[in-house]
Amino acid sequence: MAEGIQLKNISGNNLEQCLKCSICTAYCPVSAVEPKYPGPKHSGPDQERYRLKDSKFFDEALKMCLNCKRCEVACPSGVRIADIIQASRITYSTHRPIPRDIMLANTDFVGTMANMVAPIVNATLGLKPVKAVLHGVMGIDKHRTFPAYSSQKFETWYKRMAAKKQDSYSKHVSYFHGCYVNYNFPQLGKDLVKIMNAVGYGVHLLEKEKCCGVALIANGLSGQARRQGKVNIRSIRKAAEQNRIVLTTSSTCTFTMRDEYEHLLDIKTDDVRENITLATRFLYRLIEKGDIKLAFRKDFKMRTAYHSACHMEKMGWIIYSTELLKMIPGLELIMLDSQCCGIAGTYGFKKENYQRSQEIGSRLFKQIKELNPDCVSTDCETCKWQIEMSTGYEVKNPISILADALDVEETIKLNQ
Amino acid sequence: MRYDTIIIGGGLSGLTAGITLAKAGQKVCIVSAGQSSLHFHSGSFDLLGYDADGEVVTHPLQAIADLKAEHPYSKIGISNIEHLASQAKTLLSEAGISVMGNYEQNHYRVTPLGTLKPAWLTTEGYAMIDGPERLPWKKVELLNIQGFMDFPTQFIAENLRMMGVECQIKTFTTDKLSTARQSPTEMRATNIAKVLANKDALSKVSERINAISGDPDALLLPAVLGFSNAESLDEMKQWIKKPVQYIATLPPSVSGVRTTILLKRLFAQAGGTLLVGDSATTGQFSGNHLVSITTDHLPDEKLYADHFILASGSFMSHGIRSNYAGVYEPVFKLDVDAAKKRDDWSVTNAFETQPYMEFGVHTDKDFHATKDGKNIENLYAIGSVLSGHNSIKHADGTGVSLLTALYVAKKITGKG
Repeated sequence: MAEGIQLKNISGNNLEQCLKCSICTAYCPVSAVEPKYPGPKHSGPDQERYRLKDSKFFDEALKMCLNCKRCEVACPSGVRIADIIQASRITYSTHRPIPRDIMLANTDFVGTMANMVAPIVNATLGLKPVKAVLHGVMGIDKHRTFPAYSSQKFETWYKRMAAKKQDSYSKHVSYFHGCYVNYNFPQLGKDLVKIMNAVGYGVHLLEKEKCCGVALIANGLSGQARRQGKVNIRSIRKAAEQNRIVLTTSSTCTFTMRDEYEHLLDIKTDDVRENITLATRFLYRLIEKGDIKLAFRKDFKMRTAYHSACHMEKMGWIIYSTELLKMIPGLELIMLDSQCCGIAGTYGFKKENYQRSQEIGSRLFKQIKELNPDCVSTDCETCKWQIEMSTGYEVKNPISILADALDVEETIKLNQ
Repeated sequence: MRYDTIIIGGGLSGLTAGITLAKAGQKVCIVSAGQSSLHFHSGSFDLLGYDADGEVVTHPLQAIADLKAEHPYSKIGISNIEHLASQAKTLLSEAGISVMGNYEQNHYRVTPLGTLKPAWLTTEGYAMIDGPERLPWKKVELLNIQGFMDFPTQFIAENLRMMGVECQIKTFTTDKLSTARQSPTEMRATNIAKVLANKDALSKVSERINAISGDPDALLLPAVLGFSNAESLDEMKQWIKKPVQYIATLPPSVSGVRTTILLKRLFAQAGGTLLVGDSATTGQFSGNHLVSITTDHLPDEKLYADHFILASGSFMSHGIRSNYAGVYEPVFKLDVDAAKKRDDWSVTNAFETQPYMEFGVHTDKDFHATKDGKNIENLYAIGSVLSGHNSIKHADGTGVSLLTALYVAKKITGKG
């Protein structure tokens, strides 16, 4: 019975496990550059005690938290510090999102509009007067380069070019492509279809896919995030009924659906959580079990530096992407020091955050320039924007590198 | 996933073993749950500071010979200690951690409260003293940054005065440091180290110090420099006209963070794999052989290895736990040396030797752990998780971590 009492004594997000050791503050990328931010320990477990007494102790400075989760990775006591901070923003913040935040957060709506007129949008977003208006009126920093919008959505390409033949495979997976693949960079989605088809898997879209909602949560629109999350989980459940694992190519979408839905949005996911997985993890595990084999081009050569995206580190899955890359014979893999690049989704796009965002990433950018690799690799699309803009080096998802290096015909033969 | 050796714990002991094995050509994986107690590091390493009667040890090797049979040093054997101790110093210096001192004779370090404690190795540049009656200074100036609370100057000054040193306290600041002070909770040694990693900011500090310092034998400064390397410690010494010595601050410890970062980097360079923010949950045994382990983030993965090392730390790092029923080792439920009756765990006077401090995993003379009374032939325990030593009473913590790690690594590679 005595043990029973101890087991029941569990606080929300492990709040009571905090020893006040302050190790988290040493690894917070925001504290390091922004003295107005009260830091993870104070914003999280310390102030939470006060907030539980009275909501007036809520401090709007908490919006400076990147939700990168590096405090949680560093915590020796398993306190979910960033969850405490984000949950308190959802519960107590009275700050209403401004139009800029709503625009940045609605990545799929804005993406749909932008795709229709992509050449115009891409050209105008790069123009100085337009940037000045965005900066002055909207509060989107003028130094920021917008990711280019594609003129054809991934979904459109898929329906026209790929959908038909997917049923001809004997094994099947679903694909949560996310906003970035759909509106900005369909090539990553095409790369995944290429690999999966080569190893004998048909790739299917979900019945209904909405933006995972990570940007909505960050911008104070948790209600909309919850509605979209429920749509996604319903579709993922349907895929599970057809025995289809749902693959992703974005570490942040994956992390949001697997962990943030339950921790921050109260969406029940435990029955399907294990059905959502990063494509690199899925592939690695099939290879290790001996279920599939990959053959690589003999002429492939690349020296790439791997950047550990924050949410990838939090999930603990970096090992899958890097082990997979190590299988490519012509590839030299260098591990960059694990640190935040500073963009944190829509955070770095905002005028008030731009300078802080660049300062946070400065050590990473310096290391990349010193190493001078052929390209950088990472599993996160917003890290890609930030690193490409700040260093000039091309950034590739491990799936794209794998697709590049793959000897498709040989791989198909090996897996027949 | 298969490795030659898997180490549970990424603190001083785990990293030391990991580096040694990876450099010997092994494929090594370290599973590390949060940051380690190195973040409370004093800036010095201990071998043996006090004997069984609580008397200060001058010659550690002689005193080690008198330790009881259960002490980890007794298991290593006095004939091996010398060699391992010099090997430890070499490994630290290879990682970029320069230390002063030797195993033949202890010196004294200055604590953050200004008392003296015996030590084996002290970080280059930190105050290092021959003995309480042999202080190197008659007159010092104790300089602190305005608003930095983790350097209690009054205590330090009072203690130094009691030892006959004339001590004057001065404070200073610069624009950058006053900016950092806006968030009082974040005005910690590690954050100051990040601010002063910038050369400009550091040179402003040295200008201020040169402007306010008088003519003492030494300027004593808080050890707030060098987050990820020791460059700024040396630069500051060159720029300041008077001799400078650093004194450790209250945690989080900059020297500890630096030691962690440098050891991790060396481990990565040697080809080791580090799983951060992940914890081992259970092991799969076959008779008296550990076959594989499972971790929190990779629940459906088995991590196989020929050898396993448990370096999970003591109570604070959760390598050893207790509940109302008893003291236990949480991952494998290994046998522990601990008092059965709860009343015998502690004594009333907090300053007395506390029995629980010697509790830990039971091992044989080669540091094999045991489970249900049986030796596990390929599972070793090293560092603070071991029973039979007391890092407070004996000042033997870091020495046990380093030496048991090196000893077990040698056993595994067959060179011991």
